[in-house]
Amino acid sequence: MTSRVATAIRLTPRVGIVMTMAAFLGLVAFFWPFVVAPGTFGSNYAPTLIFGVLLLLVLCVVLSEIAEGGIDSKALAMLGVLSAVNAALRPLGAGTAGIETVFFILVLAGRVYGPGFGFTLGCTSLFASALITGGVGPWMPYQMFGCAFVGMLAGFLPRASGRREVLLLAVYGSLSGFLFGFLLNLSFWPFSLDPDSSIAYLPGLPFTEQWQRYIAFDLATSLGWDTGRAVTNFVCVMLAGPAVLTTFRRAARRARFRAPVRFAAPPTAASGRR
Amino acid sequence: MTAVARTTVEASAVPSAPSRDRGGRRLPRILHPVAWWVWALALATAVSRTNNPLLLFLVLAVLGYVVTARRTEAPWARGFKYYLYLALTVVAIRVVFRAVFATGTTPRDHFLFSLPHIPTPDWYAGIQIGGPVSLEAVLSAATDGLRLACMLCCIGAANTLANPKRALRVLPGALYELGVAVTVAISVAPQLVQSVQRVARARKLRAGRTQGLKALRGIVVPVLEDALERSLRLAAAMDSRGYGRAGTATRRSRRATGALMLLGMCGLCTGAYGLLDATAPTFLGLPAMGLGTALCVAGLRLGGRRITRTTYRPDPWRLPEWAVAGSGVVSAVLLFSNLGYDPAQLNPTFYPLTWPDLPLVPTAAILLAGTAGFLAPPPSPVQRADAP
Repeated sequence: MTSRVATAIRLTPRVGIVMTMAAFLGLVAFFWPFVVAPGTFGSNYAPTLIFGVLLLLVLCVVLSEIAEGGIDSKALAMLGVLSAVNAALRPLGAGTAGIETVFFILVLAGRVYGPGFGFTLGCTSLFASALITGGVGPWMPYQMFGCAFVGMLAGFLPRASGRREVLLLAVYGSLSGFLFGFLLNLSFWPFSLDPDSSIAYLPGLPFTEQWQRYIAFDLATSLGWDTGRAVTNFVCVMLAGPAVLTTFRRAARRARFRAPVRFAAPPTAASGRR
Repeated sequence: MTAVARTTVEASAVPSAPSRDRGGRRLPRILHPVAWWVWALALATAVSRTNNPLLLFLVLAVLGYVVTARRTEAPWARGFKYYLYLALTVVAIRVVFRAVFATGTTPRDHFLFSLPHIPTPDWYAGIQIGGPVSLEAVLSAATDGLRLACMLCCIGAANTLANPKRALRVLPGALYELGVAVTVAISVAPQLVQSVQRVARARKLRAGRTQGLKALRGIVVPVLEDALERSLRLAAAMDSRGYGRAGTATRRSRRATGALMLLGMCGLCTGAYGLLDATAPTFLGLPAMGLGTALCVAGLRLGGRRITRTTYRPDPWRLPEWAVAGSGVVSAVLLFSNLGYDPAQLNPTFYPLTWPDLPLVPTAAILLAGTAGFLAPPPSPVQRADAP
């Protein structure tokens, strides 16, 4: 059933190295409230902005490296169209009990078209959606980074087929929904609360106390949303997953990504005249 | 000859309809998007300096004036009110969380009321829930939230005023493919909506259900098929128009690009490690990160050479762009310079509770940023939503 189609975007070893380093930098950029030595930064706004710029730069480097290996026009057009689908789906979910509709296409496309495509699709769909709805801001690098890795890891999931594959993708989708919410909360926690509140970020606290504060904040603000997101992802993938996977695979077969190009010898002058 | 005569007639006809033109005799045109972003980010920087509610409300008023005076009719230009709702939410969350998870009240505070105290287990001792709520705590949470809300609104104003499709041109050449994909996405999105409507209508004609979870599959699959089909057609069109033409990069410059990127990423990782480890030498922290950033930027610039791009109708950067960006930057500089006013007036204290002053120089600085509302040329009266 799972006819292995070629991944849409080739990942060279160099991209692999760059992505590993990007993952490390991403971990630091999200988890800095727990791990950064106190007194490194002046205000609570500064590190968020610094790491936001850093993530943006890292994303630029990774995307440029992916593009250096060559994105053929079919993969690029498919990226654009699927980003448009995601950008159109996104406003449907926003604001209603944390229903998140972006991950649905992202996870399935990452699975079918491979990790490189998933990474790029995560970036482009959030970027396009932010441009259409006027939501460009310092939060965008964090969201793009989170979505890019959700799409990329979907491409690295183990082999499976039939119902097991759909179940695997559904579980992955709901888990990634939880993790995404947890990480994004972490990105604005340090400055979004009054420092005198007892669940706010306080520089210099030991790890366990800081962690307790953050867990309380996460419970109080967004656990309900994240649960909603996880449940929607699960239900969407279980219901529409098989049909969409088939559609994607059919498109991949028809597109024949990275088809080898061979130049035939030009016909001789005599045969051309006949 | 006749063509010249016709153009002169048309040109003279333009000033004869001044009722449509809101900016006096100036020709309507779109300001360079980067100018709006510089203006808004500078104003946000200025806002980060102050906690004075009077100045913050003044900033909101200035933003409201500029946005109403210079926004277009495009879809992204309707978003400012959502930023205002978001701002209200931010202030409300700050106040509620400060009241519920309260610490840091002093005996001198004016107590308003008391929330029931919920005991937390010993191993969770850091968190307090409930307890007395004081006027000072609520006010300080509200003004602090108002500052964050103002910064959000600055970003919202930039989103409203700047044309995102034109801003995409600022992307470096190394991200050309990303820019193409996003441009495709933005142009395809309206067609998708039509596609959904078409499929839903077809289902209705066949007496199929158009709502509920079962209908989801019946609509999603045809729409996706349609979209993927369209992408293949688009790819063929791109190929036939010369997409993928190589630029001037040689094999050596490609290698150099790769080396710069890898070294830059190593520098960034070292910098991040230096920030984590307090015992690491200081040069491993922010300096290493700066070096890594410089290398990565150099790599991106060099990598941009593999693509050659030409610009159709470049956006000019003229006097109005300088004026708008400059007014924002000057106001930020004035608020950081501490010239001619007491810095304590920017952050009034709540002990004792007094009415905040309105210092003269910062007020003038913020009003100066508001001049962008008439320094920028008026937007064209009818801006089509799908115009580039």
